[in-house]
Amino acid sequence: MDSVVNPVILYAAIALGGIGVLLALPRRGANPQVIGAGIAALGGGIVVVLLGLAGRDAGEGLPNIHFYIFSAIALGGALRVITHPRPVYSALYFILTILSSAGLYLILSAEFMAFALIIIYAGAILITYLFVIMLATQAPSEDQIDELADYDTQAREPLMAAGAGFVLLAVLTTLIFGGSQSLIPAGPTAPLDIADLPRSIERALIREDLMARGDSIVIDNYRASMQGPAVLVERADGARELVMVPDGVEVTNAQQLANDFLHNHPVTIEIAGVILLMAMLGATVLSRRQVMMEEQAKESQLRTLAARDSGADVGVEA
Amino acid sequence: MMLILAQSAGGEMGAITLSHYLFVSAAMFVIGMIGFLTRRNLIIMFLCTELMFQAAGLALIAFGRFHMNHTGQSFVVFVLTVAAAEAALALALVVLLFRTRETLSAEEWRELKG
Repeated sequence: MDSVVNPVILYAAIALGGIGVLLALPRRGANPQVIGAGIAALGGGIVVVLLGLAGRDAGEGLPNIHFYIFSAIALGGALRVITHPRPVYSALYFILTILSSAGLYLILSAEFMAFALIIIYAGAILITYLFVIMLATQAPSEDQIDELADYDTQAREPLMAAGAGFVLLAVLTTLIFGGSQSLIPAGPTAPLDIADLPRSIERALIREDLMARGDSIVIDNYRASMQGPAVLVERADGARELVMVPDGVEVTNAQQLANDFLHNHPVTIEIAGVILLMAMLGATVLSRRQVMMEEQAKESQLRTLAARDSGADVGVEA
Repeated sequence: MMLILAQSAGGEMGAITLSHYLFVSAAMFVIGMIGFLTRRNLIIMFLCTELMFQAAGLALIAFGRFHMNHTGQSFVVFVLTVAAAEAALALALVVLLFRTRETLSAEEWRELKG
């Protein structure tokens, strides 16, 4: 694969992306954000072309057009998160990134995680962020309603940060370009997975009238016969019979994930619960603490509020 | 970009490999890192850590898919748990800091440098 991907072009493309991000970062004065975003997109596009060339000899694999669309949206949204001067818009662009990441998860046949991601991130975490952004914004003073805060419009050390970031990306990409096989398409469920879930086989057999109520499946004797997967069923009278598993019995992604959880990581769920409980307690304790405001700050805030209220009244009367 | 899409639709570009996902994940992580280093708004800085969490999750799921097992996906559940806990604590902290200094600027807490 080294012959396909020229390292010089690769590093040049990554440097281009770095320069683009550098230009797109907010700063005072002339702010070539659009040009910066364009250059970053160009760099990213070159890397994608290189990756595409590298993947050409990897053989048949997954359909790829959705991958390019989703990852372009995800990276563009991420770039906008760090470059937009208004925090609310940053949070909204982050939701866009989350949604397209969920799309990537779907391509990777992780359906459960894709929807859990949307519910937890876009639904819960980002809404909390939006609340806090609105809660913790200074009341604008009268003469500068649309003025952005200084710490939002000026990036801190953009050159050093972009340089460090894209050196890291270059190193990571060098390692990644060591080459890897194409992802095999998710085919029908492997027999091993079905064997983990005897209950769903049992339900399917009962539905197909291959098994009566008193019968039971001998789990240890799951086997694949020449015609397909089959199970050994013990009848109510003690006789044993090999029954074919009907078509259409397959394990969904959520079932596989639950199986993996409860079989392989039972304790970690408890630990996750404890972490969440501690976070809840900690957040409550932290946000209940009263902060003594200085008299001066209090007065200035009162004055700002009063000025705004009187301004609003005047506006209504006029 | 249109050229790339057209080519990939025609199947000229070849299959998606693990490298593609890892590159997207690495790029997202680096963007989050740059954001964390450059932005001076406390809320945006924490948003950038969420971006880095997200990149890690994508890499985990891609690796899990590559090895055809579900450990990667199970791990992402814990990444989400930790991200939620972190968001709750960090945002409570940000509200506290904001009430103390009346600003979200990280520069205001410069004396913590020691």
